[in-house]
Amino acid sequence: MSDDRPNASVMVVGGGMAGIQASLDLAEAGCTVYLVEQSPAIGGLMTQLDRTFPTNNCDLCTISPHLAETRRGLNIELLNLTQIKDVQGEQGNFKVTLISKPRYIDTFKCTACGECHRKFPDCVNLTPGLDHRAPTCMRYPKVIPEAFSIDMEKCKDVDSLVKVCPAGAIVPDDSEKVMEIQVSSIVLAPGAELFDPKELPDYGYGKFKNVVTGLEYERLLSASGPTLGKLVRPSDGKVPKRIAWIQCVGSRNINQADTPYCSSVCCMYALKEGIITKERFRDDIELVVFYMDMRTTWKDYELYYQRAKDEYGIKFVRSRPHTIDCDPKTDDLLITYTLEKHSQPATETFDMVVLSTGFRVPASVIELGEKLGIQLNEHGFVSTSSFNPVATSKPGVYVCGLFESPKDIPETLIQASAAACMAGKGFPPSVKKAGFDDQLPPERDVSAEPVKIGVFVCDCGYNIGSVVDVDKVASYAQGLRNVELAEVVGHGCSNESLQRIQQVIKEKGLNRVVIGGCSPRAFELKFQDCIRKAGLNRYLLEMANIRDQDTWVHMDKPEEATEKAKDIVRMAVAKASLIEPLQEVQLEVKKAVLVIGGGVAGMEAALGIAEQGYKAYLIEKTSQLGGVAPKLRTTWKGEQIAPYVDSLIKRVQEHPDVEVLLETEVESTTGIIGNFVTTLVSSNRKGDKKVVEHGATILATGGKEYKPTEYLYGEHPSVLTHLDFDQAFTSNDPKIKEAECAVFIQCVGSRIPERPYCSRTCCTHSLESAIALKETKPEMDVYVLYRDMRSYGFREDLYRKARELGVVFARYELEHPPELKNEDGNKLSITVMDQILGKSIKISPDVVVLATAIVPNENKKLFDMLKIPVNDDGFLTEAHTKLRPVDAPINGVFIAGLAHCPKSIDESIAQANAAVARAMTILARDVITLGGVVATVIPGKCAVCLTCVRTCPYGAPSIGEDGHAVIDLAECRGCGICVAECPGKAIVLQHFTDDQIIAKIDASVAVSST
Amino acid sequence: MDQAGSMRLSYPASVRTIRVPCAGRVDIIHLLRAIEDGIDGVCVIACLEGDCHFLTGNLKAQKKVQYVKKVLEELGIEPERVEIFNFSSGQGVEFAEIAKQMYERIKALGPSPVALKKAA
Repeated sequence: MSDDRPNASVMVVGGGMAGIQASLDLAEAGCTVYLVEQSPAIGGLMTQLDRTFPTNNCDLCTISPHLAETRRGLNIELLNLTQIKDVQGEQGNFKVTLISKPRYIDTFKCTACGECHRKFPDCVNLTPGLDHRAPTCMRYPKVIPEAFSIDMEKCKDVDSLVKVCPAGAIVPDDSEKVMEIQVSSIVLAPGAELFDPKELPDYGYGKFKNVVTGLEYERLLSASGPTLGKLVRPSDGKVPKRIAWIQCVGSRNINQADTPYCSSVCCMYALKEGIITKERFRDDIELVVFYMDMRTTWKDYELYYQRAKDEYGIKFVRSRPHTIDCDPKTDDLLITYTLEKHSQPATETFDMVVLSTGFRVPASVIELGEKLGIQLNEHGFVSTSSFNPVATSKPGVYVCGLFESPKDIPETLIQASAAACMAGKGFPPSVKKAGFDDQLPPERDVSAEPVKIGVFVCDCGYNIGSVVDVDKVASYAQGLRNVELAEVVGHGCSNESLQRIQQVIKEKGLNRVVIGGCSPRAFELKFQDCIRKAGLNRYLLEMANIRDQDTWVHMDKPEEATEKAKDIVRMAVAKASLIEPLQEVQLEVKKAVLVIGGGVAGMEAALGIAEQGYKAYLIEKTSQLGGVAPKLRTTWKGEQIAPYVDSLIKRVQEHPDVEVLLETEVESTTGIIGNFVTTLVSSNRKGDKKVVEHGATILATGGKEYKPTEYLYGEHPSVLTHLDFDQAFTSNDPKIKEAECAVFIQCVGSRIPERPYCSRTCCTHSLESAIALKETKPEMDVYVLYRDMRSYGFREDLYRKARELGVVFARYELEHPPELKNEDGNKLSITVMDQILGKSIKISPDVVVLATAIVPNENKKLFDMLKIPVNDDGFLTEAHTKLRPVDAPINGVFIAGLAHCPKSIDESIAQANAAVARAMTILARDVITLGGVVATVIPGKCAVCLTCVRTCPYGAPSIGEDGHAVIDLAECRGCGICVAECPGKAIVLQHFTDDQIIAKIDASVAVSST
Repeated sequence: MDQAGSMRLSYPASVRTIRVPCAGRVDIIHLLRAIEDGIDGVCVIACLEGDCHFLTGNLKAQKKVQYVKKVLEELGIEPERVEIFNFSSGQGVEFAEIAKQMYERIKALGPSPVALKKAA
């Protein structure tokens, strides 16, 4: 099937967020992608969440546009209900055998009208599993592919089922298919499953109805869930007054469940569920979270935790409850727990208990790993190196998302883009083909033609046709001014009808199209593509939403609904009479990338660009490459860092396509995505200047260790920071070698009012160092004074190992920090209030290591010049916290490494790889298309009052050289705020002009003249 | 609004919708034009405060609605005929509820004086 395609083809296994992102990045960079997903729909776990932290935005609103993109990336072949049977061959030439289960539905004909689902709910799958009421509820309404699937085994009356489909899409004799596909590389993104709490019988899950998992609770909160978003407890439908969360269910557990690692996301999702619940019920509900360590380490997460505590009044209890009991009379739940300082257990009653379950690799995924012959770690996840974080042990096979380690959405997406970067490597740009052209016919010039509108009214099966008389609506529309033709098209969105519409456009010479059917949010893109294929500009379309805003809400009033449908169509025709084709501007893409910052992230990014076959300019303001990394001893997995950095520097310097410019900074920059022009200035030799043209920019300006003023740092020679310690340890400094007692103090400069964020890496760094001390000198006394031990993911293994080696962990609270004194004879002493003993303990250390914060490098001038904002802590802001963690808010600019937020070296490298993949989506194109629904200025009316400049949320308008406002097409998002604010009415929003809006308003009342 | 449809929640059939990309696109002239056309009541439906899809559009719309209310008052038309409501795209239930309330409010006010004059 792939004979005529270039061999830049990649198979992506798994259609969750990771697989989708990897596929989109690869397809946009010109590769052919086969996206293999075992269930009937893509979207994975994320489509089942209610909202996402830390923004608490509606999850489906966030993800839907992303899912929809996969339908437009023309080089993605979606293979649903499909699994890998066998893989042969090697990098560059894998032969993959796939098995597809029958769907019993022809996706070409199915329009997802829902008729089969309504009549045969038991045997029609809307989406698979997990929801206890699935498939009878609309859990995931924007499913992709937009088609149902049938469970034939459950169907008793196949003939009636086939007849119920108005599109004739049900294929009862569909059968299993085996196919072989040849690809150059494979990206594994199969995801993970949630731990089944039935394995912990003491929690009573499955026995007590009011004990639910975090995901089930999420379904209860969700507007698309089984209770339509009403929070009631499962046993009796009562609104709960007290809810408890129990953390680490199936995580950090070596006794009953064999899951010793931390699942990394459950702290945050419990906080999110708590906050959303509190937002709804305020003081009417009491929430308690039982936890061991609160691990809120990613960007802005610590703040979220503090808000949950202080602003929302969620109560946190540091204890791992042993048992949940149920009062059979009331269905209430009793939790027995022990507090640190008390020896006697306490019992509390709750209406509901939510178990924060963690991730596990499903047996089927482990089997897949074995089939491919890749190395897995002892927990069943893929083994990777810190320096090549998405590569598996088998060349050409890459991994991202949960199969690599437990992680949340932004980290998953970073890895997905990184895997896309690695999998897309090795194809010269010439064999790649960006998939946007699809051989469209030239656009017809309609400017001289009289307006000829075609109105197509859908019956949408039961959805519209059963309420509104569509024939009446069509014949009414036929009589409206400018309407050349009006007809009923059945399911307008089916491929059959789309072809009919195209045919009519050509035959009748239509130049505007109105679709009387569903919401533009559903199918506007599809209909735009449809008319474009018939030679019309894609903006010559107007949707009349007679379904979502009419038949679905006035089912019991068919006559009123028909009248309303006529009004809606009349309004759409009135607007359509005034719409114009919109021109899109094309700019040539400069095939080079400017990378700012010569640390590990910057070097990896520059090298990645060069290895993809493009030019990279790598600028560094100091006189050497390397950044902070050469000062670090090992990664958390134990790999030596210095040799890696040395070899990286060498590879960067030797690559012919990387131009390294040391002691160089940005002087000025102009231009937009695909087409930047930057002037670089050298700081060493009389300010030499160089002008570079580049299609994208990668910011990797790095961060550094906070140099403390507290804890006698700089006053006593035995008080060290992490970097000091690493150097002293490596050089066998007697200070370390001869020490008999070492103390690590955590959170120095982090999680304090002046610097509220968590620096993420310091707990792990202290664990590494403490283990190294104990391994070289077992008799040494090693203490770690901490607030929460944040050894997320498999770093938890280090925490366990340190305890086994005899490292003593003592917890302190922010209000009572350890007191470090320099006593007589320059001897150090520490007093700390131990929370478990409830007493102060005194230690006399020979060396003290301060786990200090990571702070961003100071680059205000540069960031201002590039118009990239920073957060309150000085870290660069991304375009979307959740879904675009590598993209800066300015198009064409990407972020990698510590400048974004504190992270470990493997995470920085992954983000650098990801930035390369994102930049490739631009460089693979020859031109960038701008325009469409954007604001434009009428120069003669502009009074240069600067209102638009002040108003625009995206900084798109500026005052141009000609003395009037101009709007940067690359930045304009088409919201129209400037248009409504402009006092001179000098700005027009294309497709939503005042004339068009007013025509619609007028048409809503006036029975238009015919 | 479409969420109310997806959830099949009914609201009065006299509601008509004009789609704009952002509430911030709504201009004073659009609201006044609707009143001038004899429409009995006009609502701007915006994103939740602090959660605007386009960052600040809902706040701009809020100001314009307040301004139009003042203008209507000066013209002797009940300012309650123009209103702004904030929803997230997931709040279908809330939208249907507000649509009903707004309908009741307008019904209590009776036909717009402009419409009456037009009829006369």
